[in-house]
Amino acid sequence: MGEVILTMKGIDKSFPGVHALDHVDLELRRGEVLALMGENGAGKSTLMKVLTGIYTKDSGTITFEGKDVEFHNTHEAQEAGIVIVHQELNMVGDLTVAQNIFIGREFKKGIMIDDKKMIAESRKLFDELHIDIDPKAKMSDLTVGKQQMCEIAKAISHKAKVIIFDEPSAALTEKEIEDLFVIIRDLRAQNLGIIYISHRMDEIKVITDRVTVMRDGTYVGTLVTNECTKEDIINMMVGRVIYEDPKTHSAVPDDAPVVLKVEHLNAGKMVQDVSFELRKGEILGFSGLMGAGRTETARALFGADPKTGGDIYINGQKVTINSPEDAVKHGIGYLSEDRKRYGIVVQKTITENSTMATLEKYTRGLFINKAEEKKVAEQYIKELATKTPSADELVVNLSGGNQQKVVIAKWLVRNCDILIFDEPTRGIDVGAKNEIYKLMNRLAAEGKSIIMISSEMTEILRMSDRIVVMCEGKKTGEIRIEEATQEAIMDKATRDIN
Amino acid sequence: MAKKKSIFTQEVIVGIVLIALYFLFRTISSDFGKYTTFLSMMDISYYYAFMAIGVAFPLITGGVDLSIGTGMICYALAGGFMIRQYGWPTGLAMLLSILFGVVIGLVNGILISVMGLPPFLATLCTCMITRGLGSVVTGSFAVPWPTAKQPNGWFHSIFKITLENKTKLPLGLLWVILLMLIMQFVLAHTKFGRYTIAIGSNKEAASLSGINVKFYHVMVYVVSGLFAGLASIAYGAVIKTVQPGTGAGMELDAIGGAIVGGVSASGGYGTIYGTVIGAYVIIFLKQGLPYIGFNANMQQIITGLVLIGAVAIDIVKRKVVK
Amino acid sequence: MEGIKQNPIVKKLGFNRIILFCILVLLYVAFSIAIPGFAGMARIMSILNYVYFLGFLALGVTFVIATGGIDFSIGPVMFCCALMAGYSLNTFNVPVAAALLLSIVIGFCFGVFNGWLVSFVGVPPFIVSMASMNIAKGLGSVFTKTQSVSWPQANDPDGRGWFRNLVKVGNIPTGLIIFAIFVIVLYILMNNTKPGRYILCLGSNKEAVRLSGVNVRKWQMLAYVICGTLVGIAAIFFVGAYTTVQPGLGDTYNNEAIASCVMGGTSMAGGLASIGGTVIGVFVISLLQEGIMALRMTKEVQMIITGLIVIVFVYADVSARRRKN
Repeated sequence: MGEVILTMKGIDKSFPGVHALDHVDLELRRGEVLALMGENGAGKSTLMKVLTGIYTKDSGTITFEGKDVEFHNTHEAQEAGIVIVHQELNMVGDLTVAQNIFIGREFKKGIMIDDKKMIAESRKLFDELHIDIDPKAKMSDLTVGKQQMCEIAKAISHKAKVIIFDEPSAALTEKEIEDLFVIIRDLRAQNLGIIYISHRMDEIKVITDRVTVMRDGTYVGTLVTNECTKEDIINMMVGRVIYEDPKTHSAVPDDAPVVLKVEHLNAGKMVQDVSFELRKGEILGFSGLMGAGRTETARALFGADPKTGGDIYINGQKVTINSPEDAVKHGIGYLSEDRKRYGIVVQKTITENSTMATLEKYTRGLFINKAEEKKVAEQYIKELATKTPSADELVVNLSGGNQQKVVIAKWLVRNCDILIFDEPTRGIDVGAKNEIYKLMNRLAAEGKSIIMISSEMTEILRMSDRIVVMCEGKKTGEIRIEEATQEAIMDKATRDIN
Repeated sequence: MAKKKSIFTQEVIVGIVLIALYFLFRTISSDFGKYTTFLSMMDISYYYAFMAIGVAFPLITGGVDLSIGTGMICYALAGGFMIRQYGWPTGLAMLLSILFGVVIGLVNGILISVMGLPPFLATLCTCMITRGLGSVVTGSFAVPWPTAKQPNGWFHSIFKITLENKTKLPLGLLWVILLMLIMQFVLAHTKFGRYTIAIGSNKEAASLSGINVKFYHVMVYVVSGLFAGLASIAYGAVIKTVQPGTGAGMELDAIGGAIVGGVSASGGYGTIYGTVIGAYVIIFLKQGLPYIGFNANMQQIITGLVLIGAVAIDIVKRKVVK
Repeated sequence: MEGIKQNPIVKKLGFNRIILFCILVLLYVAFSIAIPGFAGMARIMSILNYVYFLGFLALGVTFVIATGGIDFSIGPVMFCCALMAGYSLNTFNVPVAAALLLSIVIGFCFGVFNGWLVSFVGVPPFIVSMASMNIAKGLGSVFTKTQSVSWPQANDPDGRGWFRNLVKVGNIPTGLIIFAIFVIVLYILMNNTKPGRYILCLGSNKEAVRLSGVNVRKWQMLAYVICGTLVGIAAIFFVGAYTTVQPGLGDTYNNEAIASCVMGGTSMAGGLASIGGTVIGVFVISLLQEGIMALRMTKEVQMIITGLIVIVFVYADVSARRRKN
């Protein structure tokens, strides 16, 4: 390990309502791989976005190669030698590999693009990295893993001194990960500084030299990888006081009827052979880290995405769900994690949104009974304490918490027995959060069954009767609330593969 | 790893269809095989081919240019009017026609790229506007370009020359091929071409790579306008008398040609040679159907159905790949 | 200004629509002053003739635009309906009522074709429009052997002219009554019924509506079917007023119908549609058409104006949306 190449000191960043980074420090040396770890929302991505100029920091200093720097966009950061390999790939699928690597800075020969030189240069890059990719192949024909390699090659071709990998392994196969590690070791040998963001504990142990842990937007500490255990890291990640009292025992009797049984559900890479049961009056928490496949499981179950296999039983009866229409008919309601895109029609009124799933109940022949419709909307505004001047207000004018209540109202009007809450309190302030918790408890007490997907550990421990943990598209564990601890959940969520 | 590429790309298949179509018509109708038929078919083909080459660029960006048909007539009217009314030399009038096309292309580009209007809507409006402008400029009178024998008529020999033994040669075909090669080169080997594809494939990624997407997006429509301008000269030379108010629907044949020739309607892929081959398929249908006893207007119906079919196949193909 | 906008009556009617209505009135006054003899019953009847068929076209396309789609095959399809039905009437001697029905059925079929391609196959609406436009023109020409078709006159010896009573009886504009009934029915359909609700909502956020368990494809297709049917009706009023139809034409009306919609406050982005606004828009366009003719300018001037109107209104909508985000 060499000298320090990059120092971030006292980085502070706030968004409206959120203190995303609270005086965070980070130090990176030449020739090392530094792991950056933390739960969802710990602030890793925000920190990297500040570093590469996507966000501007509120305060703090960034020192790169001994000089204070501030980048205003990724382009400037690239010029200086700091490059990020994104999780979501930024590739032009219809162009070739070489064309993508040099896009925006093509070699030219007269007015002509010098494709030969670009191909030769790409080949040289790939040789250096010991990657076998044809520079003339069309980008969209490559596997995700190979596309990632191209991103890395592109990063290196920028004469990068610091490369940030943002969860590079999420979409890769075992073999591809091995190849990636060879490349990373190579880069380390060339004295580059590497920041590696990942949730996979085994990878961290294999590839990184030091681990910096963040939690809730703060810097927790840095460990030397060889000298610490998985437990040490997990303790640093989750070591927060749970001030909202967690549930100690489940009120659901052991013989409560099973309302929903899912067997061997499969849908692409993100949902592999998932089976679980949901009982009457139960809140079943789905825990896991980003990209664990929880939302995908819910969407496949709800018929929003096609599934490749699996059986679904409702009240013991096998049912076919191929579209949301089918799911709703069988009494399932789904509150999406992305409210604005999938939950509500923001340009329409509360009333119109509330009856969206139940319109046939409020129509006589073709005509909508607007008075009755408004009455039921107002009833739920009152019941859920939605803050709005009237039921005719456009949903776009409501706050996040109140928008969420409108989505809940939509499914309550439908009187669904099974409700899937996907990140029900994301982007909602504390007061509204508690209201939604209360509401969920009340619904469960009334005999509704709830699947709650949440990335917040406190929320999982506070609400669930039982917890299903997922990791990489597979169910890795099921824990009763009585036995659940943060450590136990995190252990399963980051379970070493193989 | 890489999929083995079939040599039967859409371009090749359409090429085979083109040849098959020609011989099919020939066998059914002896008139179709005559050299004069071939000549007149070529005459008609030039302006369609030019329009198709130009409109391929907006199509590859995932947009469309509906203003090329009426635009072409408008530019031809303007050029011809200047020769008739003010005695401009033909060369200057031709330049005006081309420039007019470039300006309308620029307007389209600004409406779409800078002001953010949907391409089909912006160009539908300029389609109507150019149609109106042409008539307003000429006072709704038809404008004849000089005939070949008139002093200003030298430009006819750009597209057709008569040899000493009175054989006529379709010289325009040479221009079509030349422009096809040039624009294929531009698409495949210049920054402009590369970014045209990038905009159609993943505009966001192109923009993040530091490309001035807005500028190139405007230029795409300028190219389309430029080729509508070139088409107007071919139209003036071949049709001779330009009628105001015509031209609507011609853009569909050009666009249909490009899409049949393998340009993806959702953007990101296309070749210029495929476009030209596709355009000739449409022209053969247009000109050939009457020879085999069909109403010429059957071609419109067939073009419409082929257009839908080509796009639907493209959509299904993309779904299967996913 | 803000105070006026917040007034409940203004809010109900829509500020922009009130402005548009004022523009309509002012335009009429301006034409009446500028052109001697413009004011008067004859002109109004002539304007109304234009209002009817353009109105049905514009109302139809309002439903399509509400879903976030577009249909600019409506003009040629209208001509196709009028040509094929008229040709059947003249050549095969089908009863007038059957010919009228045929016109509507042809429009309906085009609607089914367009709607199916857009919502079930996933072909972009503008491609479908282009193809339908071509097919409609081709069908009209092939069917009539490229001859123009004249519908029977009011004084037709065989009494086949009765359908003209749909447009006017003597000096009573019966067409206006029929048109008004349709406007009311379509207003209710758009705002008070399940299909209208789903069409508007899916135009605003299709995915959210789908995840509410609604069969969005079906309702999206319905918008095109409604549009097609209304185009078939428009054809009847066109021939009722203008008698003769030529094959290969009709596309100038596309832009006028779309202009009527966007002027009336229907957003090209979908989800927002105003039947009332479209109607006022139709009157403005029809008045413009009449005024331009009275000023001895050509149809082409109107095309330029219509094109500019669409650009201005769509740009206003696009930039307003950008500001909001």
